[in-house]
Amino acid sequence: MKKLLTLIGAVALILTVQLCFGADGSALQGTTSGALEGLKTFYNFTGFANFDPLNLVMIIVGLFFLFLGIKYDFEPLLLVPIGTGIIIGNIPFHPGNSIGIYEDGSVLSYLYFGVKKGIYPPLIFLGIGAMTDFSSLISNPKLMLLGAAAQIGVFGTFLGAAALGFTPQESGAIAIIGGADGPTAIFLSAMLAPHMMGAIAIAAYSYMALVPVIQPPIMRLLIPKEERTIKMKPPRAISKTEKILFPIIGLIFTTFIAPSAIPLLGMLFFGNLLKESGVTERLADTARNSLINIITILLGVTVGASTQAQYFLTTNSLKIFVLGAVSFVIATAGGLLFARLMNLFLKDDNKINPLIGAAGVSAVPDSARVVQNEGLKTDPNNHLLMHAMAPNVAGVIGSAVAAGILLAFLK
Amino acid sequence: MNILTVTSQTWIITLVGYFVVFLVLVTLIFTFGWLMPLILNKMKNKPKKRNIETTTGKETKSTPRDRDIRAGESAAIAMALHLFLNSQHDEESNVITIKNIKRRYSPWNSKIHSMNNTLDRR
Repeated sequence: MKKLLTLIGAVALILTVQLCFGADGSALQGTTSGALEGLKTFYNFTGFANFDPLNLVMIIVGLFFLFLGIKYDFEPLLLVPIGTGIIIGNIPFHPGNSIGIYEDGSVLSYLYFGVKKGIYPPLIFLGIGAMTDFSSLISNPKLMLLGAAAQIGVFGTFLGAAALGFTPQESGAIAIIGGADGPTAIFLSAMLAPHMMGAIAIAAYSYMALVPVIQPPIMRLLIPKEERTIKMKPPRAISKTEKILFPIIGLIFTTFIAPSAIPLLGMLFFGNLLKESGVTERLADTARNSLINIITILLGVTVGASTQAQYFLTTNSLKIFVLGAVSFVIATAGGLLFARLMNLFLKDDNKINPLIGAAGVSAVPDSARVVQNEGLKTDPNNHLLMHAMAPNVAGVIGSAVAAGILLAFLK
Repeated sequence: MNILTVTSQTWIITLVGYFVVFLVLVTLIFTFGWLMPLILNKMKNKPKKRNIETTTGKETKSTPRDRDIRAGESAAIAMALHLFLNSQHDEESNVITIKNIKRRYSPWNSKIHSMNNTLDRR
């Protein structure tokens, strides 16, 4: 083994010498040696020669994402691939060698194709459908209204972005951040404003990861303590027939009203049917495990890599981040206030805990988890998780519908 | 930012869009809150095949009395429900994603690879 390694080493050394000094050693005789030329060329191709301070800024952002994901467990499945992607996308390189994500023929550009053409988001929705249990929604359908109410974040931001001077298409793409749904945001921005997709996707995923930080203060501000203690009736048991019928009826009704949302809603309900039918367990298993994991890796890394400093660090990106934060706040407040409004019309034994309104902003299942924790803080015996899952999954449907509507109007 | 500068088209998209989101979800509420239970109840209450008395050949209709649940059964169901509802949420970890932590296999410091099985030349 040692002999073989020595042999390979010797051959490598000879080849290196030939590359640097020329095959016949003529370079040694020249005034400027080939070695220096070679080293210069090599240096020109390194990241140091092509360094731009903006790249360093983005690499620090990527490292921060990794820190949040690994240290604080904030959506690690998203932040770790995206953070790594940001670093990958911002390593300086010599342009024109098919390396960068925006260069034709590069490997990264091929992987990015799935994002650019909106292929990955529906596949993610397939997996989400195969994971989601709609039982709590079917048992208490009126909670779907909370998922609809929270979409005020989307349409409020649409107005805000238009007022800030963005084009209608750009406004639509930015607005969907309020839906708190990463795949939907990527899907819509790929269709309406591809040049802004990096910033929109990063904003959407960042705020989704920060749900446990953003939502609780708004919940405490808008919901009085006595209303936070409301105990809801346990959800009724759902028959298998109802579970099977839900994705079929849901698919037909929702896509008939908003056909532009077919790629997202079609896959969501298809995934759920695979799960609930009980006869396609292998397919459901693949959709909710292997497939969604593969797509999450590809989506995360390529979206991260699409944030090349030269394209990403602009004033527009800053505006997108501000609008995204505002839309998230409006969406949460919309859900909470609508829940309080609903309580005005409900009988005492049927009242809902308004905290669950906050789960209307998609972000499955993080926002439902936040609701549960906030409920427990007020009353340690009040478990709201299952109730909060209803507006939470309704939020997924609602944001996909909102995306479909914006797409239909603006494409 | 001046919201008044927004074009009428933007306002229309906003209002119509928000309305349609509500419409879609209200349709689902209507379907699953009212229509579905109605259909399922109809299906459940569909009269079963009429009993045929083999001895006389006469057909008899099942009376409401036949469908009554006996007191013992009711008590058992009530007890099961009581136990089920009281046992709910007793020990919730609040963790709804199962985190499967496995030690990854890595042969880099594996003892088996660093052992020298020299031949015993005796």
